[in-house]
Amino acid sequence: MKLAKQEYRALEYIVGKEYITQEPAILDTYNQVWGNQFFFDDKHSTRPSAVVLPASTDEIQAIVRVCNEYGILFKAFSSGFEYLSLALEKEKGILLDLKRMNRVLEIDTKNMRAVVEPYVSVYRLQLEAAKHGLYTGRIGVGYSAGVVAAECCHHGCQHTMVFTSGYGRNVLGVEWVLPTGEVLKMGTGESGGELFSADGPGFSLRGILRGRTGANGGHGIITKASVKLYPWYGPAEWRQSKEPGEPPSRGQLPEVPDGYKVFIPTFANIDDALEAAVEFCHAEILYALSIGMLGTAVPPEGNDEEWAMLQNLEAYPEAGEVSRNSLVLIIGGQSARELQYRQKCVLAITEKWGGRFLPHFNEPEALARSFVDMIWSNGVPALRVTGDFLPSSSSPDGSPDMLKKLAEREAEISRRYEQSGAFYSVRNVKRGISWRPEENLSTGAQGISVALYDPYDPASLEAARRFISELFDPRGKFQRFGVPARGGCLQIESVTHVHQNWGPRYDNYDLWLRKIKKMLDPKAVADWSAYIPPDYPHYPQEGGYVLPSYGKK
Amino acid sequence: MTWQDYTHDMQRCTRCSYCKWIPYRYMRNTDFIEGCPAVARYNWHAYAAGGKFNMAYSLLQGRIDIDDTFLDVLYRCQMDGSCDVSCKVQQDIEPLQLMQELRIKCVEEGKLPPPHLMVIHGLRKEDNMMQSLKSDRGKWAEGLDVKDLTVEQAEVVYHAGCRYSFDKELWPVARAGLSLLQKAGVDVGIMGAEEACCGGRAYELGCSGEMEKYAQHQMETFRTAGVKTLVTPCADCYACFKVLYDKIGRELGIEVFHITQYLERLLKEGRLKLTKKVPLTVTYHDPCHLGRLSEPWVHWQGKEIKVEGQMIVHDPPKKFRRGAGGVYETPRNILKSIPGLKLVEMYRIKEYAWCCGAGGGVIDAYPEFAVWTGAERLREAGAVGAEAIVSACPWCKRNFLDAAKETGNDIKVYDLIELVEKAI
Repeated sequence: MKLAKQEYRALEYIVGKEYITQEPAILDTYNQVWGNQFFFDDKHSTRPSAVVLPASTDEIQAIVRVCNEYGILFKAFSSGFEYLSLALEKEKGILLDLKRMNRVLEIDTKNMRAVVEPYVSVYRLQLEAAKHGLYTGRIGVGYSAGVVAAECCHHGCQHTMVFTSGYGRNVLGVEWVLPTGEVLKMGTGESGGELFSADGPGFSLRGILRGRTGANGGHGIITKASVKLYPWYGPAEWRQSKEPGEPPSRGQLPEVPDGYKVFIPTFANIDDALEAAVEFCHAEILYALSIGMLGTAVPPEGNDEEWAMLQNLEAYPEAGEVSRNSLVLIIGGQSARELQYRQKCVLAITEKWGGRFLPHFNEPEALARSFVDMIWSNGVPALRVTGDFLPSSSSPDGSPDMLKKLAEREAEISRRYEQSGAFYSVRNVKRGISWRPEENLSTGAQGISVALYDPYDPASLEAARRFISELFDPRGKFQRFGVPARGGCLQIESVTHVHQNWGPRYDNYDLWLRKIKKMLDPKAVADWSAYIPPDYPHYPQEGGYVLPSYGKK
Repeated sequence: MTWQDYTHDMQRCTRCSYCKWIPYRYMRNTDFIEGCPAVARYNWHAYAAGGKFNMAYSLLQGRIDIDDTFLDVLYRCQMDGSCDVSCKVQQDIEPLQLMQELRIKCVEEGKLPPPHLMVIHGLRKEDNMMQSLKSDRGKWAEGLDVKDLTVEQAEVVYHAGCRYSFDKELWPVARAGLSLLQKAGVDVGIMGAEEACCGGRAYELGCSGEMEKYAQHQMETFRTAGVKTLVTPCADCYACFKVLYDKIGRELGIEVFHITQYLERLLKEGRLKLTKKVPLTVTYHDPCHLGRLSEPWVHWQGKEIKVEGQMIVHDPPKKFRRGAGGVYETPRNILKSIPGLKLVEMYRIKEYAWCCGAGGGVIDAYPEFAVWTGAERLREAGAVGAEAIVSACPWCKRNFLDAAKETGNDIKVYDLIELVEKAI
């Protein structure tokens, strides 16, 4: 829906002619994201009325005020590489592309924190921080994702969370343009100090800002964030290289950098692997941990090359089982002695649980490849295989029993769909769930069950929807802890049945979310497509169970 | 292939935005990690390759038309292929080919930005992209004792290309290249005023028919002249002769070399010797058309099939061009063999080099953008401590000279030929 002349002019006055558009050719590049076919039966979500490119907090504040004045829905984003990141719940809505807010404002080495603007990507901050011996955690969706999106607005998981914790724990303070247009400096910022602590003196509100899964824009726009940094034991600068003539995907570190070591033990069964993982966590020696996802393989050039490679797996039917029962353990240390101590622990616990170091997983180049993937991410090559994938993220409490229970249930469900031909599945290879434990499993873990499906194959798409509904378990059959999430968002549809079905099981949390939403956003102008609607729509029910609404704009 | 043949690719662009950057594996200095000049300069997602996929898909669905904005976005792009390399680190889709086909579609519909229309009119009239008189084409070689292949025969034709032929400031480079071949005893000649455009730049603008016409002309001309080998100092011409003609099924039937490749051969054979010291710290700028865009064309015919449930593969297997087959080591080998010269590398090199800014017709239609892009590259050269930036293409040299002048950057700008000449 086009904006009225005075609405457009009001926005144009703020950002200038060059930084606002309502040209259809450009607008339609702001509503096509992976996953849209799953949600809307269409590559396009709602076309925004306009897109703006603000450069400052002042501009954003003024834009939000205009939105309040004229009842225009808004949503801001950085890379935009996430489900529903560009989706708008109403046709009269604008997007704020934050590409021009691209500065690393501060790296405070003494206090191990960085202050960044929204478009600063995770990998960029990792490069900058490494110069100061510091590090920010890897993000699952890949290196183009924004630090602010990850830490302040969004839910995700990654392998360094044993060391760097989950995203929500790393926010120290933010500058936050509320949906009303007020600017709130959370934590010490509010009391006139620097953005040093999220918890005061001054308002904390960290839980309200993002909670566990993030409001994904439903609470306004973060224009600046101070985030925790962690020690980096590697070099200040590194080079991934390849041989001339090799495809660019082959770029690699020659070896694991000094200051780190990587071990990949394989256990007899998933039970032992998980028990060992818990013990590694309790020893508090790890920099990164992966359960069931190794990253040791040479990155395939493309699908044809990968398929050629996979055909060799027929001769190795236990490959999947072996990977599933393996762990990646990365340790780091400031001194050789510290590293030696951690290595000693790794070897002792591995031995206790009968782990073996299979040569092909533990040769130096394989370990270096795994290091790169676990510490910085290899991006999302899974998207190439079938054109889309669905990472469902379950959040158990971190006990081995719960991890095992969910691993088995989810693997069984995945297997059923894979065997039907609806998803990608390598013959004879039984795949499993992969886990990213948080804070040494003291606060839980996030398990990723992946469905590789083709959104343009109707049968595959339909199966994906059934799969995610089953996995989300909104009827509570699995009795797991925590509300599941689909990839980065709590939502799995633009107005979700998950809240409606799960809310009553968990202290009516959804009612509280909606109250908070209404309080912060009385005019309902901050888009909620990946958060919670101010009011639930009337979707069909079946015996008190609200049915999902995939395929509806 | 037509633009609609890339529907699969349009659907499967995920909006990862990797096309905006160099491949992350090769990022080192955060000042120099952007890969696409257009999106770096104009910000809107539409300017990135991902945006072009989106525009094409909307066009296909009748949601948008080819209007002025569409044209502006499509043509404010150097067609340098950086996006293509970054995208295909993880994907099996073809951003650059889609952009090429979209430009062809625009031309078929009679839509081309006015400055390009003028250039194409000039080409049709005078056989060059410089809006200059055909009769002036051979003037760059005046005074040189060189065979005229319209009346004599030689083994090798030295094809100067439109830029070298008409950009007077660059004539010394074109002349030096020819002299080097002569010094090495190569039996070489030129077509002089009868040399015609390769048609590559016209093709990049979407005028595919023009290139077909020139391909046919060149084939006939070289056959008549009896030459066995073509050597060109222009990277654009090289990529056109080597890759684009092959793409459209019009191979020249003679050996094609970029001059750097030929010089390397002459050096290896001892026919040229680099003996004089050139005490200079230089950095090498990979011309897009000598680097990633010169990767040989891969002909493939087949179909997509599903294996292992939903995995999309090709029958027969398809080898994607991912940029690795460009000419990267040859110019570096030559530079490293020049006594006293120190080669320092920039942060964006080889497959993921930043464009000089001139490509895809940008230098003609959007000179301010061309200069901005070139200035960014000069800034990078300065950041690695280079006294001079060296390229191997007249379009790069032209644009760097302009960018240096506009921005007051006093870095020296060389073509590799000039340094070889100094060292002999």
